[in-house]
Amino acid sequence: MKQKADVLQGTLALMVLKTLDVLGSLHGYGIARRIEQISGDLLAVNQGTLYPVLLKLEQEGAIESEWGASENNRRARFYRLTREGRKQLQVETQGWEQTSAIIGRFFDVKAEDLP
Amino acid sequence: MKSVRRFFTRLVNSAMRRAQDERLREEVEQHIALQTEENLRAGLSPIEARRQAMLKFGGVEAMKQDYRAERGLLSIEHLLGDLRNAARTISRMPGLAAVVILSLAIGIGVNTTIFSWIQLMMFEPMPAVGGASKFLLIEPHSETGGYPGASWLEYRDLQAGLPALRDILAWEMAPFNVGEKGQTDRTFGQLVSGNYFSALGLKPAIGRFIQPQEAERPGTEPVVVISYDYWQTRFAGAPGVVGQKMRVNDRELTIIGVAPQHFQGTMVPLKFELWVPATMTPTLLAGARDLEDRTARSFSLIAMLRPGATREEAQAQLSTAMARFARDYPEANAGVSGDVLSFWQSPRGPQRLLMSGLAILQGVMLLLLLAVCGNTANLMLARGSTRQREMAVRLALGAGRWRIASLVLSENMLLALLGAGLGIAFAVWGTTALRLAPLIGAFPIQFQTGVDGFTLAFAMLLGVMCGLIFSAPPAVHLAGLDPQDGLRSSFNTAPRSRARKVLMGAEVGLAMVVLIAAALFLESFRSARQTDPRFRTEGVLLAAYDLSGRNPDDASERDFAARLLERLQALPDVEGAAIATNVPLDLHGIPARTFTVEGHVRTEAGQDRAITNTVTPGYFKVMAIPILEGSDFADLRDKAAPAQAVVNEEFVRRYLNGANAIGRRLRTRGGDFAIIGVASNSVYDAFGEPSQPAVYLSYRDLPSGQGEIHLRTRGGRETALASEARGVLRDLDPMLPLYDVRTFSQHIERNLYLRRIPARMFVVLGPLLLGLAAVGIYAVVSYAVSRRTREIGVRLTFGATSGRVVQQIIRENLGAITWGAAIGWLLAFVVSVHAITKGAVNLPVFVGVPAILLGVATLACWIPAWRASRIDPMDALRHE
Repeated sequence: MKQKADVLQGTLALMVLKTLDVLGSLHGYGIARRIEQISGDLLAVNQGTLYPVLLKLEQEGAIESEWGASENNRRARFYRLTREGRKQLQVETQGWEQTSAIIGRFFDVKAEDLP
Repeated sequence: MKSVRRFFTRLVNSAMRRAQDERLREEVEQHIALQTEENLRAGLSPIEARRQAMLKFGGVEAMKQDYRAERGLLSIEHLLGDLRNAARTISRMPGLAAVVILSLAIGIGVNTTIFSWIQLMMFEPMPAVGGASKFLLIEPHSETGGYPGASWLEYRDLQAGLPALRDILAWEMAPFNVGEKGQTDRTFGQLVSGNYFSALGLKPAIGRFIQPQEAERPGTEPVVVISYDYWQTRFAGAPGVVGQKMRVNDRELTIIGVAPQHFQGTMVPLKFELWVPATMTPTLLAGARDLEDRTARSFSLIAMLRPGATREEAQAQLSTAMARFARDYPEANAGVSGDVLSFWQSPRGPQRLLMSGLAILQGVMLLLLLAVCGNTANLMLARGSTRQREMAVRLALGAGRWRIASLVLSENMLLALLGAGLGIAFAVWGTTALRLAPLIGAFPIQFQTGVDGFTLAFAMLLGVMCGLIFSAPPAVHLAGLDPQDGLRSSFNTAPRSRARKVLMGAEVGLAMVVLIAAALFLESFRSARQTDPRFRTEGVLLAAYDLSGRNPDDASERDFAARLLERLQALPDVEGAAIATNVPLDLHGIPARTFTVEGHVRTEAGQDRAITNTVTPGYFKVMAIPILEGSDFADLRDKAAPAQAVVNEEFVRRYLNGANAIGRRLRTRGGDFAIIGVASNSVYDAFGEPSQPAVYLSYRDLPSGQGEIHLRTRGGRETALASEARGVLRDLDPMLPLYDVRTFSQHIERNLYLRRIPARMFVVLGPLLLGLAAVGIYAVVSYAVSRRTREIGVRLTFGATSGRVVQQIIRENLGAITWGAAIGWLLAFVVSVHAITKGAVNLPVFVGVPAILLGVATLACWIPAWRASRIDPMDALRHE
């Protein structure tokens, strides 16, 4: 149970980082929308779970935030990738690609391929 | 790195909880507003748009929980909450908290003070000397088990014979008269080897120190190093002091340097002011043969190990060397071996006196602290039980058992640490008082104790351990509650706690041990003072004079003593007057001499030794020591009589097998003497000592430049006599001071000083402990009774008399108390009989202390029981 949440949180953090990398400064709702758009309905997470992840990333120094005006002219908290966050994204992207490549190969292997 | 950063951010966040909550609330609101707008654009009705937005966002509260868990440190927040809660709880019970904090503070304060003292003796035995605790003592060890000290020649030989040690240094203490004729001050100094200061690793405050070549040949360099305090008080810290001359024992010495601040010599707690090369001994102390006589064991030796060498090697080399000396110089060294000891293990002198007393004191005081803990645990348990309902509610609402335990723990820890804090304040006060202890008696004593980091750590450690000890029972009890029971239970169904009774018994047992120890100590102290010294101390005035500055010869010394006594005896208030070289019960003891006596052949190696005091005729009468056989010494001016000696009963018993002593010849270093009398035994070095053989010699035969005047006065006028005695001395020699004037009782008092400090501590702490035990018992019993109000009411309604109720309550509680007391008593008894008094039983203590303790305990049970029995049965039945 806990492990599953961790995995989810880990991937969610990576998605947040990638989103901010691509779109620059963005508020919480914007990030949620973006992730939703890209993943479609596949990732049916509650949008609220995003906020603890944002806080964790901010505390780690991967992102920073400040108050700004949103499109409807309200006060909103805007998040931005830091240099450290960019580095983290690079590392984690590599790690993710490696992992998915390995997993992919596992799924490709059929019984008759084995010696 | 990342995790560290995260930790600190979270720590800060924990502190700024409110601002963060506000931020999240705003963000969530904005998020939902934006989503609602989006939904509106998609064509939903306003209400539906908001509903969908909320649904999509998910559970706000659950998210907030996650968010908070992510943001701060939950455990720290809990801890802060606990502490806040603890502070509130404590402030609601000021009386109980005051008792707990104060009793802990006293226990911790006393222990910390004693510890700072022990720490000083063990780790910084020589203030201002770095690494002083690494010095080892090199102690000759005589076959009789004593440690007589080393001779100068032995020291010179050992310097070459112990390669495992480097830079052995030597010293002996000496009294000095400093100043011009007529205005001399009595000061204590050390006669030291040439490497003394360099081996201690000291740097002079100004000037230089004694050089090795200045302590090579006897009587060479008349130089002196003075202490920092002496420099400040006598020379106002003037830098020009180096090169100045000062008169010491009527010799002119050149001041070459000032020792560093705080340095007080190498015999803590004694404080020395002057350091002179040991080779000046014969010049400064007329007639001293310390440098050439191997039986004059007046020096102490210390050294550090050479790098890489072990203590075992040093011990082996010392044993070899001492065995060689025993062969080469049998008259001085037969049967003398040597021990390498740690500095704090000093087998003689003030260090030893202090150390043994302190160790016992610390042990007893730790027991006291344990009893305080037991008491506190009991109070807390009683209090905790009244909070059963509160805890049950907490448990029912989902608090974990650990949270309950940590709640209780944090409350008690807070109390314990407050106690430790106050205890440290007490310790600071105690060590300051100790440092300012007046210079007492003939010997200047200074303790440079203080509360440093190490002592602080000790105090806090004690506090934490106490906290843990007395938290455990209530924490276990409350965390183990069944919430159902806790909520349902009303007063009359409360379980009776065994733990409380066991604790009560344990506390009483500990109190018993500590009180018996205190009582035994006080008894021994009191009986020491009341023991008949076998001479009369009342009405005797003591005063010292010193002619050694005059370089007198035997004839003039004898003549001076005779004239002085004649004048003193002529005073109307004086019943008798005498002069002696030594006063019994002095801190440094009376010297012993080796001798041979006609009629005693020694079977084993070594020499016969006896305490020797040189006295004038009339001494026995002044001291009221009866002469059992023979007669007193011949008159001082009698030139015809041969050299005489008086021995005591023990001498006759031990060396002459009780045969007739009169007329036998006694030979010592000072010459041949005829025994003319046998005096009764008396106390020489300490109250309660086993009988010692003693030889009295006459001033007529061995005159001395120094003397202690003994005056027996008529009708208790001894204090008024001091000025008359001064006048007499001034008439004889206007320049000669009379110093160290004191009554014999004062003399004894100040020499008991080191034993009096612990005695006073016990006098204060004994009743305190008794009071604490009473409070503990009272709290437990009154709590137990309060829980049984209804039961008592029922009994009273059905006709039980209040007397019966009281009786039953007392009987129930006294059972546990008696058990604890009996175990404590047995423990104290066994230890005392086997280890301390060796078979003797001090009946008043072993009967009296339990009687008092049980009396107080019964009273502490009776008060709450009596109060309960006075209750109106109707009230009691209505009681919840």
